[in-house]
Amino acid sequence: MLEYAWIIPILPLISFILILLFGDKLKEGGGHVAVVFIGASMIISLLCISDVLSGNSIEIRGINWINWEGFEFGILVDSLAGLMMFVVSFVGFLIVVYSLGYMHGDDGVQRYYAEISLFIASMLGVVMANNLLLLFISWELVGLCSYLLIGFWYRKPSAASAAKKAFLVTRVGDFMFLLGIIVIYAYFGTFNLLELFAAAPDLEGVASGFLGLSVLTLSSLLLFGGAVGKSSQFPLHVWLPDAMEGPTTVSALIHAATMVKAGIYLTARAFPLFTPVSLLVVAIVGIITALIAAAMAAVMTDIKRIIAYSTISSLGLMTLALGVGGYAAGLYYLMNHAFFKALLFLAAGSVLHATNVFDIRHIRGLRKKMPITAATAFIAALSLSGLPPLGGFWGKDEILIASFSGGIIFFGMTLIVSFLTTFFTFRWFFSIFMGKPNEAAKHAHESPKIMTFPLIIIAFGVVLVTLPIFMNFEHWILSWLPILTLNKLNHAGHGPDFVVPLAVSIQLIALYLAYNIYCKERFTSEIFIKRFRPIHTLILNKFYLDNIYLVFAERIVGGFSFALNKFDLGVVDGIVNGIGIVSMRISSRLRKIQTGLVQDYASVMLMGICALLILLKVGGGL
Amino acid sequence: MIPLHYYLILSILVFGIGALGVLTTKNGIKLLMCIELMLNAANINLVVFSRYIGDIHGQVFAAFVISISAAEVAVGLAIVLMIYRIHGTIDFQKIKKMRW
Repeated sequence: MLEYAWIIPILPLISFILILLFGDKLKEGGGHVAVVFIGASMIISLLCISDVLSGNSIEIRGINWINWEGFEFGILVDSLAGLMMFVVSFVGFLIVVYSLGYMHGDDGVQRYYAEISLFIASMLGVVMANNLLLLFISWELVGLCSYLLIGFWYRKPSAASAAKKAFLVTRVGDFMFLLGIIVIYAYFGTFNLLELFAAAPDLEGVASGFLGLSVLTLSSLLLFGGAVGKSSQFPLHVWLPDAMEGPTTVSALIHAATMVKAGIYLTARAFPLFTPVSLLVVAIVGIITALIAAAMAAVMTDIKRIIAYSTISSLGLMTLALGVGGYAAGLYYLMNHAFFKALLFLAAGSVLHATNVFDIRHIRGLRKKMPITAATAFIAALSLSGLPPLGGFWGKDEILIASFSGGIIFFGMTLIVSFLTTFFTFRWFFSIFMGKPNEAAKHAHESPKIMTFPLIIIAFGVVLVTLPIFMNFEHWILSWLPILTLNKLNHAGHGPDFVVPLAVSIQLIALYLAYNIYCKERFTSEIFIKRFRPIHTLILNKFYLDNIYLVFAERIVGGFSFALNKFDLGVVDGIVNGIGIVSMRISSRLRKIQTGLVQDYASVMLMGICALLILLKVGGGL
Repeated sequence: MIPLHYYLILSILVFGIGALGVLTTKNGIKLLMCIELMLNAANINLVVFSRYIGDIHGQVFAAFVISISAAEVAVGLAIVLMIYRIHGTIDFQKIKKMRW
């Protein structure tokens, strides 16, 4: 089956073209076409994954699109790619099905299905590419689709500016990614991933001559720069919360389940290139992201933004896991996160579909009216919170154990993150679904079957993806890594015994707090807010990072652009216009010799002929 | 036999008169006539040299010049006529269109 794996990304691409051309003539803007093609792609990828599960992998060196070594369309399917294919195609398919209900009756459904097909095609391209160039092309396509889908309701100014913000912020990361590819090509002479990893040990310790970094450190850090942008890590995390302006399905698919995982995937894929120095940077970025995002998620009130910040926090945890060597832990958490976060978003979408209230303080007690949504949301929240027994618990514990080996600071900060995570997850869940129904909840009703069905399927998925940890997941996911890289890893499961009970008891405290504040309403969060007023304000304003970026953009970049504009208008244009003005002045004098009289011209001609003859005579020509 | 330079002096005189006329006259018709004088000065030269060298080609060429100059004058007169229609004059000192 594996030799047909190249069909997987082609099918959604065909769907994109079909919907783009004929979508307006089809029902639901071609939504059914998208479901069929993406479904077929999912089935093939599941078949391929079952091959990969039994230990096979394949690299297909495809066609060269420029007659030059490395510019090729080729695919590589191994355990890491298989894991990502599973996440992308399975979650993607269910979300497209859910869209049939959620997007029903929207003006732009044709555009929506076309863009989402292209998105799935390019995302599959990212995870299946066998060389960095193809990966980068798909990566940029993914970014484009993200931009288009965030700005799907482009008439809304906030959506349009959120799309622009996402595009520009991720661009910073993409630029570093591109630089990384250039550095890699300069030193390795190849784009092919497997050749790259085979050559990596030879370049160990070779200095790049830039800030005293070695070649491997420099190139891996640049690649990680791309991951920081795409996976919305600190300090480029500011775009993801705003990206919630798109339809909820888009938030679920792109900004929770798949696209933001591209950065983690890139880090995991390029793992053999990472050196201890760059891994330390990865871990630090990861833990900072996880911590500040968890803090922000605990104070926000928008139903989707809370989940958005929790996504950033979870991505930070995955990055941390990779950085401290918990490779399998990070990827296990990634797979689980894709499912429970997609489920959370779809549940939030279901709530919004029913109530259209965005502030969690204004919705209460929905569980009676929307039992299916509430039950599935509970499963997702349980997994996200990191309490037993679902995948979130196992993944987070593996990450905790890995962080313990990274140092006591990492471990302590990860514990704080788990406390906050449990707190904000149940704050979200209790606020919306528990307590007495209020005005908004009374008019609510359960969403249509086409929406609840995928919810149930994904809820089952959340439970099922817990299982791999009990099987041979770690061995399987590590199977593609070169031996030398394997030696760098900390094998999970070797932490001290107190880690797990400690984490669980801390999380139970958080659960108790959230239960009393938001479910039973025994006391309000006001007492905490009053005591920690400055910190609360700081977090509520997103650590003023947005403001800092704005000031930076306006003052420094704007000022620089202003100066450049002056230079352009004054000096560059001045030279060009000056040349024009001078020649105009000269010619306006010179044209006076043209009188317009025929006889003047004739006499000049005669004089010319005489002069010519005299010259020829004197010169001896005649 | 009349010496060659007599004819050449005649030819130069006729050509000079024609050239002077072309450069100085105000009247378009006179200007055309002066051009004819210049052409005929050239014709004299052609015929004279033909006779002295004993080659008939020069005289044939003179016949060509005469016939072509007839056609040229026809075109020239038509132009002068058009100039008169457009400007109401054929005074070449007053027509200054041929500039920037």
